[in-house]
Amino acid sequence: MAGEVESGALTALIRVQRGGASQPVFVLDISVAVPSGITILFGPSGSGKSTLLDCVAGLLRPTVGRIAVGDRVLFDSSGGVNLPPQQRRVAYVFQSLALFPRMSVEENVAYGLADTPEARRGERVDLILAAFRVAHLRSRKPGEISGGEQQRVALARSLVTLPQVLLLDEPLSRLDAELKASIVEDLRAWNQTQRIPILYVTHSRDEVDALAQRVIAIEHGRVIGQGHPREVLDAPRRTRLALAAGFENLLDATVVSLREADGVMSARLAETAVEIEVPLSYATPGDRVRIAVRAGDIMLATQHPSGLSARNVLEGQIESMEHRGTLIAVHVNCRSAVLMSHVTPGALRSLELSTGKTVWVVLKTHSCHLVSD
Amino acid sequence: MTYISKILGVAALLIMGSAVARGQGAQISVAAAADLTFALNEIAKEYESQTHNKVKIVYGSSGNFFSQIQNGAPFDVFLSADLEYPRKLQAAGLVESGTLYRYAIGEIALWCPANLSLDLKNKHWNALKDPRVQKIAMANPAHAPYGRAALEALQKSGIYSQIQPKLVYGENISQAAQFVQSGNAQIGIVALSLALSPAMKSGETWEIPGDMHEPIEQAVVVLKRTKDKPAARSFFNFLKGDSARGILVDYGFTFPAHAPVAPSTRREP
Amino acid sequence: MEALFLSVRLALCVSAILFAIGMPLAYWLAYSRWRGKFLVESVVALPLVLPPTVLGFYLLVAMGPRGPLGKLWQALFGHGLAFTFTGLIVASVLYSLPFAVQPLVASFEGVDRKLLDASAVLGASALRTFRRVVLPMSIPGVLTALVLSFAHTLGEFGVVLMVGGNLPGITRTVSIDIYDHVQSLEYADANRMAVILLVFSFAVLSVVYGVNRRVGRRVWATWPAR
Repeated sequence: MAGEVESGALTALIRVQRGGASQPVFVLDISVAVPSGITILFGPSGSGKSTLLDCVAGLLRPTVGRIAVGDRVLFDSSGGVNLPPQQRRVAYVFQSLALFPRMSVEENVAYGLADTPEARRGERVDLILAAFRVAHLRSRKPGEISGGEQQRVALARSLVTLPQVLLLDEPLSRLDAELKASIVEDLRAWNQTQRIPILYVTHSRDEVDALAQRVIAIEHGRVIGQGHPREVLDAPRRTRLALAAGFENLLDATVVSLREADGVMSARLAETAVEIEVPLSYATPGDRVRIAVRAGDIMLATQHPSGLSARNVLEGQIESMEHRGTLIAVHVNCRSAVLMSHVTPGALRSLELSTGKTVWVVLKTHSCHLVSD
Repeated sequence: MTYISKILGVAALLIMGSAVARGQGAQISVAAAADLTFALNEIAKEYESQTHNKVKIVYGSSGNFFSQIQNGAPFDVFLSADLEYPRKLQAAGLVESGTLYRYAIGEIALWCPANLSLDLKNKHWNALKDPRVQKIAMANPAHAPYGRAALEALQKSGIYSQIQPKLVYGENISQAAQFVQSGNAQIGIVALSLALSPAMKSGETWEIPGDMHEPIEQAVVVLKRTKDKPAARSFFNFLKGDSARGILVDYGFTFPAHAPVAPSTRREP
Repeated sequence: MEALFLSVRLALCVSAILFAIGMPLAYWLAYSRWRGKFLVESVVALPLVLPPTVLGFYLLVAMGPRGPLGKLWQALFGHGLAFTFTGLIVASVLYSLPFAVQPLVASFEGVDRKLLDASAVLGASALRTFRRVVLPMSIPGVLTALVLSFAHTLGEFGVVLMVGGNLPGITRTVSIDIYDHVQSLEYADANRMAVILLVFSFAVLSVVYGVNRRVGRRVWATWPAR
């Protein structure tokens, strides 16, 4: 692609505050550094993700703080700098795409290049239309093309301006799996060549896995985790994040004893006599904790298994079963502790699982994650 | 008594009280030409003080009222600025028999605000030629009786063609007066009765000689549609009486030869 | 027919002027966040609720030698503003103001904010955003504003009556003419003119409704919302 951009990291240290001085409501209070590459901004709705993007783009003015791309300052409340969106060289693809309905695809894509001389403009438009495989749609209006094609046009429109930062707000939420995959490919290809900070907002775990090199987890306007996806999402430290990240089991428990040498501790599940082994953490016997376990990390057996490495094997009865697409969610009652496991339809058939049947629940220590509120 | 009963009792008393008050006197609804605006108010007040009736007057252009009455407007008495409209109503069978009466002869005058110093009293028609006079207001001659008279007089004066471009037309004599009072026209040919009214007395007035135009004979009728014939007739008769005529004289009206009048014993308006 | 031509001429002038001043005013009303905006909105909407004679009366006073308009005009041109065609234009512009401004505001506000944001992020100035994004999407509103100003001025009576002075060829519009014919008991003439005016207005309104039907019910649904 002609015209490469190398920009510094995006740094944002800002607070956005609403309400009077007596009762301020902090909408956003964060400090992030986003290097080149794809960083996912992950969190539940209302956590402030879109607010952050709006601040970076210049559509919303933070109450106080500083936003810069490398050495280029976009906003600095103490220095009186507040570049309007027109001058920030930030590209922003909204969730609704916001393609101009009365203009053709070509006109949409060319929109940001008004200051470029006409001949050059035509070239760049042609190149990007080809790169995103929408050249054959150039004379159509946005209303006449499919969702996936619209998505590509929106991306093309933003990227043709060779921005220093790319912001994407849930760009794939309305597309099916296949389309998502192909656009993810386009983005990755772009990312290889352009090396700009790309901040990508989503609450879909799949997209994180496909794209992210870094994740920033955000909740209630604050950053609650930054780093590699594995760290942030697979070992979530907060309940809401755990829920968002797909931990179906959230169990309250009380710490019974610690075994530092083995790096584990045992906890009794609330209102039951069931004890399980979980990873060691800073706790003392008697502390109340919450344990998050993915349903997909729980195995079922129709016979008491032996010789397994798993430390937690619990007997129980199947209370109910639910078909959820390609999975079956099985609720097992182990002496009052109800755990949910995901099994495949094939497993359901071969094990002849049914309500009331006695099964053994297998749970690895390290599939149990301690989370706080 | 309970609270509700008290409220109901008071309400009942009020309703009965107002009914009684109404029953004491009738309400007479009068349509009157605009030139009578001040004169008729005084006449009505005098009438009300002598009877228990109330008079409600609406002022406007005679032509307007004529159309409205033809189409059923619920007036009891109509005082026109001419003779034709009442005659037409009579011919259409809308008038109580024996109630068409020529109550006055109107006069027209030139009028301007005092601060313009146009010296109407001496200059007469020539004042209209003054370069400071850019607009001259008059009532529309097509349908306003006073407008017709004004046009006749202008034509007789010999300066009509000279000043014709300066003319502007009001819907009735009242609007013509309004144009001059607001300063948008410098001189107006208005009803003498308006020029002599408290509102306009402070300006300069020159009464245009009555022989320069056909007399403006003004007639009153009692309408058949009236709901209270005795009351309407009583007002009609009052208009014929000395008291009313005295007030009309104060406002510059004269009377048809058949009925001379004694001078008014009232104070100046 | 002189009166009809006069009325049409008046309506055309007024529509053109309202377009010129209505656009910036509507733009400001649509996008400003000033807390006092509601005051301006109320003033613009006044002619909708004021009787035309009230407006006419105040205008008559304002155009007089002691009024602000009258003084200005006298200083500039040496004669008064009342009883002139220009005077009618001034009066009609004020009287039809909300009919031009409100459809425009509704149209501008109906444009998705995200489109404006996208345009800004892509580097377009406010003016360019207005020209290339807002305006093309507001065509129904603009059309409605133009046509309504025209039709409303055409039918105007009260205000013209108060400040016109009924001068043939200058301020005797068709509505005044019809009224005069009625006053003079010339019902046949009055009727003839009235029918012509009725047919004309109906044709104009059909155009508005027809256009709106074609491009969607958006504008009509949001007007007169404010």
